[in-house]
Amino acid sequence: MGLSRVPGKEEEPSGNRTFSSAAFQIVEFFKGSRVYLMLIGFGLVLGFWHMSVDIWRLPRFREMPGLVEVVREWTNSNPAFGISLFTADYYRDMWVSCRRVGIAFLISTSIGISIGLLLGWSRRFRAYVFPAFELFRPIPVIAWVPLAILMFSGRETPVIFLVTMASFFATALNTKLGVESIDQSFIRAALCLGANPRQIFWHVVIPGALPYVFTGLQIGMGVAWFSLVVGEMVSGQYGLGYRINAAYSTVAYPTMAVAMITLGFVGYICSALVRIVGNVLMQWRVRQLAQ
Amino acid sequence: MSMVAERIAAPIRVRARNVHLSADTLRSIVGVAALVLIWELGSHSQQWFGFRTPWIGGLPPPEAVAITWAHLVFKASYWTDLWLSFLRVVSGFAVALLIGVPFGLVLALNRTAHGVLFPSFEVIRPIPPIAWVPASILFWPTKDLSIGFVIFLGAFFTIVLNVLGGTKAIDPRYLEAARSMGASRANIFRRIIIPGVLPSILVGSVVGMGISWEVVIAGELISGGGTAAGGTGGGIGFFIWNSYVTAGESAESQIIVGMFSIGIMGYGSSEIIRWVGRLATPWLKLR
Repeated sequence: MGLSRVPGKEEEPSGNRTFSSAAFQIVEFFKGSRVYLMLIGFGLVLGFWHMSVDIWRLPRFREMPGLVEVVREWTNSNPAFGISLFTADYYRDMWVSCRRVGIAFLISTSIGISIGLLLGWSRRFRAYVFPAFELFRPIPVIAWVPLAILMFSGRETPVIFLVTMASFFATALNTKLGVESIDQSFIRAALCLGANPRQIFWHVVIPGALPYVFTGLQIGMGVAWFSLVVGEMVSGQYGLGYRINAAYSTVAYPTMAVAMITLGFVGYICSALVRIVGNVLMQWRVRQLAQ
Repeated sequence: MSMVAERIAAPIRVRARNVHLSADTLRSIVGVAALVLIWELGSHSQQWFGFRTPWIGGLPPPEAVAITWAHLVFKASYWTDLWLSFLRVVSGFAVALLIGVPFGLVLALNRTAHGVLFPSFEVIRPIPPIAWVPASILFWPTKDLSIGFVIFLGAFFTIVLNVLGGTKAIDPRYLEAARSMGASRANIFRRIIIPGVLPSILVGSVVGMGISWEVVIAGELISGGGTAAGGTGGGIGFFIWNSYVTAGESAESQIIVGMFSIGIMGYGSSEIIRWVGRLATPWLKLR
């Protein structure tokens, strides 16, 4: 039983939440004042946007795309600048960005977790590799952009390389921290019960590191979208980051705002997916260990 | 510091500590040297072995980078570029700290403010700061202000989130104890909340500083890439971009020099914050 509580893991009730309790919480949410305060907040932000651009016409705000203009462009079946909910280009940009992040995230997760586990588990491996790792880590991923374009041919690979680099460091470092965070009495206990190193690795180290691994994956997902935008702005063809920069240079300012909001939305969904997968996986771990 | 296998081994085998250390130093040197060797061989493979190593084949060799760096150190423009980027980071970051900490504290301490502002904050937060660069260039009159604003955004969200998390992590028993002993709200704020949040502010600052360096480079790359080659503002991102636009081996080495310089600057700034943090929270050392 003692093993079932993974150290460092916060108790996350959401995995256990059944449908009825979720419905109950939604009802409670609408009964409380939170939802109305939230609406006031949204109203304030959107109202400020609308007033400052369209009504008051404040000096610098005047050139910005207004709220009405952006919404009209976004929901227009015949948009003035070619991008709206009804055009194929909009969904192609989304799909291209998601595909890049998806590929890069798969690569960085598989490499990052294995290197992170090795870094935490093997003293020798860490002694050889970690200093070189630390040499590259402070370099912002963004600074790799020109080098990535030089190193890789084509337009697609440099962007994917950048996104991979960005999330790799977050994943590997957090996995390493996760392995190091494991309470040594777990390992001693397993040793006393006659576990061999391989069993300790699979049954103590990996589940123990999992909460940190998922923290790393969440950070990695965030920085992946972050660096994707730069990569697309500088070298990409299609994609939401490319669309923002292209809209800026063709003076299609409403499209710029549409792409920015979409980017935030898609990025949020991706982070939420990682969180959900983490909860499901760790609940499964906890249950299996508790049996 | 310690590693699993070492922890297992510790009670059984006792080794001399200095032997350990020197072996590790040796290994770290071997690791870095192996990396440089791969880079050396890879970048020369065309002329030495007659085939082009994929990816690293196009890189300038390490000695060319070292020579370029040695030349650049004596150039004033290199230091001006570093200084300009540093100034942008510091100004954007300072504003983020000045606004972010009070904003985070208000969100944490006032339920109504939290209810009104936090959802909007959370809706804007997922938009990567870099995506704001074009809008920011459009909005602010000068390039410096627009890059500074994006740096502010990048650091602001991290700092606010950390302040919020820090106040939530304060043990409520401290507050209850202080209240039951008759402490005023101002006293609780000054004696419990501020010291309780300080470590989180520092963590947020270190992360935010890292993001600031990412953003300053991105801002300089994108705004420099937008205008004709040559750039206007200066800064290490402009330096990298100009080197990229100017083809040729020495320009390519300049890109790598620029990257390592940014790495050193970023690392140095984070270390300064950690150092200030250690001075500001002396009680953490006792644990």
